[in-house]
Amino acid sequence: MSKFEQQLNQQLHDLAKEKAPQRDLWRGIELGIEHQHDTGTVPQNRHRRLAAVAASVALVVSLSWYGIQQTSVPATDHPTGQALVKALSNQHEQQKQALLVQYTDAPAMTENWEAQLAELDEAASAIKAALKEDPNNGALLRMLQQVHQQQITLIERVHAPQWQQI
Amino acid sequence: METTHRSVVDAQDTFTMAREQALIEAAQAGDKQAYRQLYDRYVGRVHALSYRLTADQGLAEDATQEVFIQLWRKLDNYNAKSKFSTWLHSVTANITVSYMRKQRGWVHRMFNIEGSAAEHHTAEGSAGDVDLEAYIVRLPERARMVFVLHAIEGYRHEEIANMLNMAVGSSKAQFHRAKHLLKEWMGYTDE
Repeated sequence: MSKFEQQLNQQLHDLAKEKAPQRDLWRGIELGIEHQHDTGTVPQNRHRRLAAVAASVALVVSLSWYGIQQTSVPATDHPTGQALVKALSNQHEQQKQALLVQYTDAPAMTENWEAQLAELDEAASAIKAALKEDPNNGALLRMLQQVHQQQITLIERVHAPQWQQI
Repeated sequence: METTHRSVVDAQDTFTMAREQALIEAAQAGDKQAYRQLYDRYVGRVHALSYRLTADQGLAEDATQEVFIQLWRKLDNYNAKSKFSTWLHSVTANITVSYMRKQRGWVHRMFNIEGSAAEHHTAEGSAGDVDLEAYIVRLPERARMVFVLHAIEGYRHEEIANMLNMAVGSSKAQFHRAKHLLKEWMGYTDE
């Protein structure tokens, strides 16, 4: 065995077994676990147009975020994360309002869809509150996007013509 | 004296394992406090592995969260035939690799990035002064992942090839590449 191999083996043996994360991860994990329980009651998206819109939005937001991260030298990460949350929320609100206007006169397939929408609003608010304290938490950002997507899916689904629901 | 010391250590190990098993069973039954204790006990290990695989602090922390979110659902699959830490390392490696694929896939495809450009850095170390952790995160992505999984986590190349969706020969080649770079960075240029 060469000197290099000996030293490498020794260094591998001495490597630290643990490395603590720099931020508190538990809060996001707890929300993620609760979200797993909640998602079972929310209809899943299977609408091609919506999926395409969601993918486009995600791509634009991701590209913008990636660009910002590459070009800026932030003293703190908070402004970038908060800007992303704000951008996501604004885009979602515009999309949601546009759909609600579009379906103003369309009959809804279920009676309690507005209550479901309000529950999802509450979930989004809780996630945004958590993001205020931890703006760059990727798991929370993904959860927020999922809740937004569930709202869009809900609106589309309850207002879709009957022939599309067969 | 030696025998007495060993008995005390064995008793402590048995107690620790029994305590851990109780936490696992409580978490499997839905006890979040017990799960929190398991998290506190293992977050350092999970994050260390995620960090070595991703070489990115933020990505490693996100992956660690993802591991513990998915682990809550997967806990029922743990059957106590193997050590919990061994099973957890396996779950962590798989989820982190999958997470990296999801998070970075499109960026890599779009910009044709193969990990970091660290390979082109000049060697800074000498044979007597080595920070292996720092060198590992400087390795190019595929070489780093293979090195971490094979040299640190003890996976066979066949398992790594399956996990990383590459040929067995590629896994061996990437491991060789990683060792070659480490050797150079550690100042062993003349052997």
